[in-house]
Amino acid sequence: MTTVIDGREMQPPEPMERALEALDTLAEGDDLLLLLYCQPHPLFNILRQNGYAWSDELRADGTREIRIHKL
Amino acid sequence: MHPSLSFDQAPPISVPYRFFLVAPWFGVMAGILLAWSGGDALASRWTPQALALTHLIALGFMLQAMCGALFQFIPVAVGGNVWRPKLVANTVQPLLLLATLLLVGGLLFSRPGLLSAAAPLFLLAVGGFVIVVALALWRTPATGMTLWAMRMAIGGLAVTVLFGALLAEALARGFSVPVVELADIHLAWGLAGWALTLLAGVSYYVVPMFQLTRPYPLWFTRWFGPLLLLLLLAWSSRLLLEDARWSLAIALSLLALVSAYAGMTLWLQYTRRRKVHDATSMCFRLANLSVLAFAISGTGFFLYPELGADPRSAVWLGVLAFAGAFVSAITGMMYKIVPFLNWLHLQRLGAPLSAVPNMNKMIPAEAMTGQLRLHILAVVLLLAAVWLPGLTRLAGLTFAVSFAWMGWNLVDAVRRYQSFRYQIRAAALHH
Repeated sequence: MTTVIDGREMQPPEPMERALEALDTLAEGDDLLLLLYCQPHPLFNILRQNGYAWSDELRADGTREIRIHKL
Repeated sequence: MHPSLSFDQAPPISVPYRFFLVAPWFGVMAGILLAWSGGDALASRWTPQALALTHLIALGFMLQAMCGALFQFIPVAVGGNVWRPKLVANTVQPLLLLATLLLVGGLLFSRPGLLSAAAPLFLLAVGGFVIVVALALWRTPATGMTLWAMRMAIGGLAVTVLFGALLAEALARGFSVPVVELADIHLAWGLAGWALTLLAGVSYYVVPMFQLTRPYPLWFTRWFGPLLLLLLLAWSSRLLLEDARWSLAIALSLLALVSAYAGMTLWLQYTRRRKVHDATSMCFRLANLSVLAFAISGTGFFLYPELGADPRSAVWLGVLAFAGAFVSAITGMMYKIVPFLNWLHLQRLGAPLSAVPNMNKMIPAEAMTGQLRLHILAVVLLLAAVWLPGLTRLAGLTFAVSFAWMGWNLVDAVRRYQSFRYQIRAAALHH
């Protein structure tokens, strides 16, 4: 199952708060899709230190699709 | 800390804050100097007072704030690690403060000894800072145009300070160098190569994020920086080439490119889907309108030399660039960065997310917009004072009070951080 958080129209730090809350309840095999207009490096550091993997793709309209799952 | 996650090692909050807390007080000094000097100060860009004012703002306010912001922005925006940030900040900041005061004193009182002492201190302080920041910017695995813009900007800072140190030494020792041409090149690299390039790079990241606009178009971010760099190199060739038409063509192209950045940012703000009317958005609007006014009046002064011949015309451009554009943009950035840093660092204390106060509790919105209104009044008075010298003292005083208010808003934010931190720690002890 994929949980989607569209953070493109949220003011920081709301996307990060929502993402952290969603990661807390993310089941094995599920993933979280975060849509943003920037690369969230503070979140990447948290993911790196807590055993999550992610992919980051740039769409033509400037949206970044960040797909996160538990390693 | 959030129940199941550990946070990254951003620099201690004291690193950016020590720069932010000092910066506004140089603006206060500039305002007081202007109020004390009166009407003659703005008669031309070469009066001792105008030179001192320019450097109080450029080095005391802008450089302090931009250095502090870079320490924080590099890890957050481009995932870079600045080497021993606390040690670097503790070394660079006192050197910069001392060098700024010596330089301003040397320019204001025409004291060659002070200028000579300031130049090597700047080379040391800025040189060290540039090396550490450049290493962080080249080692990060991140990509994107914000990163490239920051790399270019840090090079622009190095060039600005090299020309500045050369000018200070030349003035102090009476070397025969083309002072006007060197000062024009120093100024172009400082305003465009360093400050505007950094502002553009930061804008690519923060304008869509905080002001909820669409992102800057990729073609724009790809071309803006390289074109600006090319034009600055061409502008610097005026040291070797004495061709008025070449200089005019480069100057007009530079002004057109600069207004493209301002126009693009204003367009993105105008067409955003969700309107946010906070202090930062207003600061950015004022900054970009000032950039446009700078480009339009600069073009007018170049095309109609009888207008540009008045020495006050360069002061008019200086007020638009320094007070109108950069002071406003930096104020807007600090009003976003400081609440965000308060939030980020409180978050790391270990409290659940719900216990950390919202970002808008960190500086009251009315305090920010009130200060911004006073700043707008100060800019208008300064612009008027360029042509009506009787207004100079009032403009200086308004400028000083506006900066003191900004300084107080930042001190208040730090006090709130300390009080929230105490509450969170006390709550954790009870559980």
